[in-house]
Amino acid sequence: MGDNFSVDDIDLAIVEQLRINGRATNQQIANNLGLTAATVSTRIRRMEDADKLRVVAVSDFSAHGYNVLMELAIEVDGRPASEVAAELAEFPEVFAAHLVTGRYDIDMLVVLRDFSDLPDLLLDKFSKVRGIRSMMPAIAVDVLKYQFDVAPLEARSQQ
Amino acid sequence: MSAPQLDDLDRQLIEVLARDARVSNRKIAGDLGVTEGTVRGRIKRLQQEGLIAFTAITSFGLTSSAKMAFIGIQADVESVREVAAQIAEIPPINALMITMGRFNILAFCLFDTLETLIELTSDKILAIPGVHHVETSIAVKTMKYNARVVRITEKGGPVDDEE
Repeated sequence: MGDNFSVDDIDLAIVEQLRINGRATNQQIANNLGLTAATVSTRIRRMEDADKLRVVAVSDFSAHGYNVLMELAIEVDGRPASEVAAELAEFPEVFAAHLVTGRYDIDMLVVLRDFSDLPDLLLDKFSKVRGIRSMMPAIAVDVLKYQFDVAPLEARSQQ
Repeated sequence: MSAPQLDDLDRQLIEVLARDARVSNRKIAGDLGVTEGTVRGRIKRLQQEGLIAFTAITSFGLTSSAKMAFIGIQADVESVREVAAQIAEIPPINALMITMGRFNILAFCLFDTLETLIELTSDKILAIPGVHHVETSIAVKTMKYNARVVRITEKGGPVDDEE
């Protein structure tokens, strides 16, 4: 992306406070860090305007009716992996799709409402995408940690 | 797992707050045509039930390492929970799940250099008793990434006490 945006220790301390509680007021953050509320406000806005920071509510899969989380590794054959991944990314069940190195070419995180949705998704939807040689699912039976608070951020205008 | 009971107002609140968590209760109440007390009460309930959490999401490289790797681990079946808990404690690991598939533990980490990645996988993870095999694959391009919908592993969190 090649921008020169930089942050200092104060910015990082503010981000750390927001990670703990995104709804903390500017005044609360200012008190914790020995700053003024105006400084906190200005610094948050600077990072947000540069699309480097979003302070948001994240919601649990279950709030959206998703009860099954699955990782799906995909081996591609006869078609660029980026094209296959782009097509798969169109499905709402796909929460993350990455091109990766190694045995498989695409790594995805997929959610389902119920196990009974699995045949339909794998056999009727994903398998219709051209270029998939094999799919290797791993079903999450327990999630111990899930902190995806670093992510590509969309521009405000796209929201 | 019992499905949480969410009504339209809960869903609207989640949608509004997913865009920007720093909107005041007053503004949300005005926009949605309900009282501030209702907004405050709903948010509190959603937080307490572990359905939402308020956090900061930063772009890659701003406050952390800029690259991501997927680490597949084969561990002793009988001690998989203990092994998984130990690996989850290692700082660069930002997500970890116990899975049924070609690995029984799947971890995600952020890293800067291949040296730090190798140190994590070959020195730290592989040295844990009960770990038999580690395979790493590096994300070279992200095609899709929804960071707003997650598994909230710690319920509650600081409750919104805005007046």
